Amino acid sequence: MRTLRRLAIATVSLALATTVAACSGTGSGSAIGNGNGTGAPKGQKEQGGTVTMAWIAAAPNFIFPLAPATNTDGYNVNLTQPMWPYLVYNGDGGASAINPQESLYSSMVWSNGDKKITITLKPWKWSDGTPITSRDFTFVYNLLKVNYQNWVSYLPGQFPTDVTSVSAPNASTVVINLNHSYNPDFYEEDVLGFVPLLPQHAWDKTSMNGKVGNYDETAAGAKAVYAFLQKEGGDMTTFTTNPLWKVTDGPWTLSSFNTNGDYSYVPNKNYSGPDKPTLSQWVNTAFTTDTAALDAIRAGGSVDVGNLPLNDIQQASVLKSEGYSIASQPLPGVAAITPNLYNAQVGPMLRQLYVRQAMEYLINRQQIVAKVYQGYADPGNGPVPVQAFSQWASPLEKSGGPYPYDPAKAVSLLKAHGWKVVPGGTTTCQSPGTGASDCGAGITAGEALSFQLLYSSGQATMDEQEAAIQSSEAQAGIKIALKSEPFNTVVGQYGVCTASSHPASGCSWQLVDVGYDPYNLYPSGSSLFNTGGFNNNGGYSNPEEDSLINATEYGSSSQVFFQYEDYTAEQLPWLWLPLESNVWVYKSNLAGFAPLNPVSGGLNPEVWYYTK
Amino acid sequence: MTNYLLRRVGQAIAVVIGLLIVTFIMIHMIPGSAARSVLGVRATSGRIAIFNSTYGLNEPLYRQFLTYVDQVVHGNFGTSYQLQQPVSTLIAQRVPKDVVLVGISTVVALVIALPMGIYQAVRRDRPDDNLLTGVSFTLYSMPTFFFGLLLIAIFSVQLHIFPPEAPSATSLGGILADPRALVLPVLTLALVTLASFSRYMRSSAIEVLAQDYIRVARAKGLSRRLVLSRHVLRNSALPVVTLVGLSFPNIIAGAVISEEIYNYPGMGLLMYQASTSHDFPILLGCTLIIGVATVVGSLAADITYAILDPRVRYGRA
Repeated sequence: MRTLRRLAIATVSLALATTVAACSGTGSGSAIGNGNGTGAPKGQKEQGGTVTMAWIAAAPNFIFPLAPATNTDGYNVNLTQPMWPYLVYNGDGGASAINPQESLYSSMVWSNGDKKITITLKPWKWSDGTPITSRDFTFVYNLLKVNYQNWVSYLPGQFPTDVTSVSAPNASTVVINLNHSYNPDFYEEDVLGFVPLLPQHAWDKTSMNGKVGNYDETAAGAKAVYAFLQKEGGDMTTFTTNPLWKVTDGPWTLSSFNTNGDYSYVPNKNYSGPDKPTLSQWVNTAFTTDTAALDAIRAGGSVDVGNLPLNDIQQASVLKSEGYSIASQPLPGVAAITPNLYNAQVGPMLRQLYVRQAMEYLINRQQIVAKVYQGYADPGNGPVPVQAFSQWASPLEKSGGPYPYDPAKAVSLLKAHGWKVVPGGTTTCQSPGTGASDCGAGITAGEALSFQLLYSSGQATMDEQEAAIQSSEAQAGIKIALKSEPFNTVVGQYGVCTASSHPASGCSWQLVDVGYDPYNLYPSGSSLFNTGGFNNNGGYSNPEEDSLINATEYGSSSQVFFQYEDYTAEQLPWLWLPLESNVWVYKSNLAGFAPLNPVSGGLNPEVWYYTK
Repeated sequence: MTNYLLRRVGQAIAVVIGLLIVTFIMIHMIPGSAARSVLGVRATSGRIAIFNSTYGLNEPLYRQFLTYVDQVVHGNFGTSYQLQQPVSTLIAQRVPKDVVLVGISTVVALVIALPMGIYQAVRRDRPDDNLLTGVSFTLYSMPTFFFGLLLIAIFSVQLHIFPPEAPSATSLGGILADPRALVLPVLTLALVTLASFSRYMRSSAIEVLAQDYIRVARAKGLSRRLVLSRHVLRNSALPVVTLVGLSFPNIIAGAVISEEIYNYPGMGLLMYQASTSHDFPILLGCTLIIGVATVVGSLAADITYAILDPRVRYGRA
């Protein structure tokens, strides 16, 4: 679910329009900070007030926190998390870290070779005054144990199918036994970080008028309860009236909901957590485009918080003069071009590490950050974003990564492997074969280093970035033909190809760029770069890589993460690209908005307040 | 006339069925997987299987089509893959928005364009005609998105007279209850449409003014006002009637660009977004509705022709 939420945030961030109505205003984003330290409250704290937040193309449609497998609307997480937060609360102030104060547990102890977790819950209460207990966790587990295939957040082999037993020795203790050892960092941040607690005392029933029981304790009962809750969860007309959804444990309760994507919250007066809302209302309103949202901000009055598209960064000065503050927020993900290593035509070339190295050397990431993203982007030096996850970024990544922009090295790499390099023209293989100075297996004499790059259309920054790459690759005679299509069309084609399906006829794409892939709090490479990973669309397979990824997920060493990260950065299963940041506009008298947390998506309005 | 109408209704049904078949086949020829497209880059094979099974996409195409026809006959247009709501509900929410926006815009455009066209015809090639022609061409050649953004920049951002957003309500009453918010979107569409209507009206009126029956009317001593209102307006409005009839589907399909600019999600935007995300049920449902609207619009134009021009009597040799 966190992944979905970030996808929603990505939608907001990446759906950049090309035009804005009011083109007045000068200046640049040079005065924009990253949000750290910019939110220091000035003036006296004011109780109450309403914050209206603009979202782009937001249309949440499901309120039960365990959404069906076919429902991928990332905005559902935005809707539900303020009411039913996860057991592990990701994001602490400006840091990508677990927030111990907001999390629902007070301790999490690992034992039995990291196969057993003992969780102690805090003595918090549901909004109806009933204590939150371990039974609420077993309720969630029982529901998912028999319904996991119809849960949108289920990942093969992970929770709940990796659990051998769950017990509740007392009202505040949960004991989870796993079928193998896990890296605690991974499991706490990436697995338990998207499991909410649900009110068993109110939701364990199979019909609206039925009595609450312990139906979840049998498989048939759990299926019936799950089906009932999912049916109710999809009825958008009753989101604010259904008594089920009035029992919450988060800081907010839903006060209005409109099917057009507008909805609002009021504080949960019985919230047990430390940060009780100061605002009296939090309104979320949907906009068709970020241009429309920015127009509303500029017109004044109706929007207090929204996104500033990078194309309109010049508006920053004007917005500041109109009483807004601006802060950037790095995104938690990896942006890259995925090479199709088994494409029938160009796969043999892309399988050569030196070809991928040459291509990476030719991507001027610093220039793209400066010119395309106006400085608001992670440099993309490897698989871990150094801005959003500085604690997980290795010294190699922080120092610029293994392949800084260097066209001369790219040219010499290609020449050393038997290519006739024609800068500005077409580089061709002169020395076919498998020797150390030959082009490599499957590459024929005269074959050109020529590829098609498929990317998602509709964003000026993407167009500019791909054009820059096309231009810089040409310096070593690597020809890149650009082809843009709508995001979902690209995904529909690109996703068809998996490692096991190669070389199927559907694997016609050569290089693809779909924006970025979001991470959870622990930036694991699982599913992305491991053999057979369901998002390893290019078919990359390397036993050493698999071993390192396994060690980051299942081993106990925290040092192994840097080994994995550096190895992956060097091996280039993907060609690393800069990752643009989110830039937010918010009322200057709204305190607590910044510092922005990369993994919280700006959804911490319980700590926001107006100053007098 | 009755026979003609019956024949036209029969043709209309055949057209709609043909449209449905062609659209269904073409939609399923879109490259890529609908499940992948909707579930995203991190879709697992298990979730793809559930998706295909849920929406019957693992069935042969002919069976999918028959199932869909059966649903439509029973008033069910299916459920949107992306929005997870019944398509009929989505259409019912969006159509009133477009009916209000495009409907009011068309009426405003007609109210201005008809007299303007006649005035220009009467004042042909004089400075005021040339001025209005220039204005018409300027409006006609201006892209809707640019014109809309210009109006927002002036009237919302700079002068703060009108809001930059159209009404957010989904009901007809709710939309009409916020007339200030309708001003800019209506103005955007009306002025662009007005340019087109007035040009047609001017050309047609020039032709009518040269007709013998106009001379006769004048010779009989009819006042200039009566000649223009009774004879010229009625006869020169015929081409505009055709235009309005053909624009009827636009009332249903909406105006994508205006909807985007003014944060007014109607049918046009619904269809556009569905087309880029493999949301087959929405595409089929909207195509069907627009197909019906096109046929009805065309029929309405023919009937209006008959009313305006007594010489036109359909069904007679």
